[in-house]
Amino acid sequence: MKTIKRYLRLYRILISQFFKVILQSKVDFFMGLLGFFLTQIFGIVFLFLVFQQIPSLNGWTLNQLIFIYGFAQIPRGIDHLFTDNIWMVAWHTVVNGEFDRYMLRPMNVFFQVISEKLQPDAVGELLVGSILVVYSISKGVVAVDGFHVLMFVVSILAGAVIYTSIKLFFASIAFWVKISGPFLQAAYEMADFAKYPTEIYAKGIRFVITWVIPFAFVAYLPAKYFLISGSTAAVIGIECGIAAVFWVIAYALFQKGLSVYESAGN
Amino acid sequence: MRKAIKIYAPFSINELKRQMAYKGAFYLFILISTFGSFISYYLWMAVYGSSESAVLGGLTQNEMVVYIFMTYVTSTIVTISISDWVSEDIVKGTVSMNLIKPIDYRMSLIARAMGDMIYRFLFPGVIIWIGLEIYKVQVLGMKVTGILTILTYIISAAMSFLIFVLFDFCFGMIAFFTTYIFGMLMAKEALLSFLTGQLIPLSFFPAGVQKVFDFLPFSSMIYTPVMIYLGKYSGSELGFVLLRQAVWVVLLYALGSLIWKKVTSRLVVLGG
Repeated sequence: MKTIKRYLRLYRILISQFFKVILQSKVDFFMGLLGFFLTQIFGIVFLFLVFQQIPSLNGWTLNQLIFIYGFAQIPRGIDHLFTDNIWMVAWHTVVNGEFDRYMLRPMNVFFQVISEKLQPDAVGELLVGSILVVYSISKGVVAVDGFHVLMFVVSILAGAVIYTSIKLFFASIAFWVKISGPFLQAAYEMADFAKYPTEIYAKGIRFVITWVIPFAFVAYLPAKYFLISGSTAAVIGIECGIAAVFWVIAYALFQKGLSVYESAGN
Repeated sequence: MRKAIKIYAPFSINELKRQMAYKGAFYLFILISTFGSFISYYLWMAVYGSSESAVLGGLTQNEMVVYIFMTYVTSTIVTISISDWVSEDIVKGTVSMNLIKPIDYRMSLIARAMGDMIYRFLFPGVIIWIGLEIYKVQVLGMKVTGILTILTYIISAAMSFLIFVLFDFCFGMIAFFTTYIFGMLMAKEALLSFLTGQLIPLSFFPAGVQKVFDFLPFSSMIYTPVMIYLGKYSGSELGFVLLRQAVWVVLLYALGSLIWKKVTSRLVVLGG
């Protein structure tokens, strides 16, 4: 209990630092937010333009697709906001030997890595995601009741854990190969496939994004549950299961990596 | 002219050599960069499958396949982001070194970008291009693209390259005012992928919006050469789009000179 309190206090201090950073460089904050915001919003304009030509896509209406697209952004944004520093492990910290400083402090190493930075850019993604979800709710394509709302919260949290686990897994490879950035990026960008109904893809791709790098469980599959006449709540259960399994694997690899880490230099 | 080549060619050759040296990560990045094309491929297949008419936005399903992958090839060789280099020079202050050398900073950047372009043209540009042509003939049953069309495409793509780097040079000047380049670059990439027709053919936009695009340089960056490759322009229309590209090269060159003069006249670099 005492440790949890201590970690929470530390995190509070770090968050207050984060707000100072935003206040200090409003232009940077705005730029980053705008970048992510634009990237996502153009994806929606794309759908709008396409739906000028067709009434539905594989049986999905525009408003349903907007919900899937927007829903996909929320777990991604949450993970992006809190654990962006994992990217640094993959690209810089290990290869430059800067990882030493984490090893020297009497604190959980993973906690140190993620608490070092909050990524304000993620607000752009969260903003787009929330706007699109609210929009599609207003169009009446989403089931809204107590149980669905609860499942919604569970699902985006589990989704964020899946994101974090995948990032941590590929970043941890850096302990053996020094720079694992390209691998991490390749895995991370697979997430874009899951912004659309996975039925449109060839079998191989569908298998990979469902079971190997399970982004379909972060975006499309749970989103389907929230759409009226969608699938059963079991999918959220599977999502939580996958989140737990992937987290355990990724964290174990990270711990193993710490034991083989050796600093650069002499 | 010969003197200019002697001065600037080493920039191209250096960049080419540099790219050759870091191949490992590059392969993976190529793989990643094709993800987007495959997503749009499957998405468009589903779109055509759900549509009652065979032609959408002036393109048939097969033409759309060509459009998606030629857009990928074209954007790979055209969009060499020299603003990355500019902003790096500005943020680090090394830009001052370029001011005291008896060379034109912008020319040296363009020469460097050319080295990069040649590398990307060889790898993966040509490979995907040939793959696409084989797929086109074997699977889609279309005709091989004629040699004249290919030549026109290459001329047009070369002008696209100039339009892009000249534009990007102007864009890089923003680094004089903000240091958070990452967000800025993302915003630029998002905007460009939209305005150049990378995300969706410009013919899908409402007529009014297309009129506006006609007066912007972005459609000349990727959309024009790809549509030439698809054989969508002929006769005087072809002449017009090529001329429009040439005009943009001249205009953006002039604009870049103007901005560069303005900015360097008030430049202050700390340290030395």
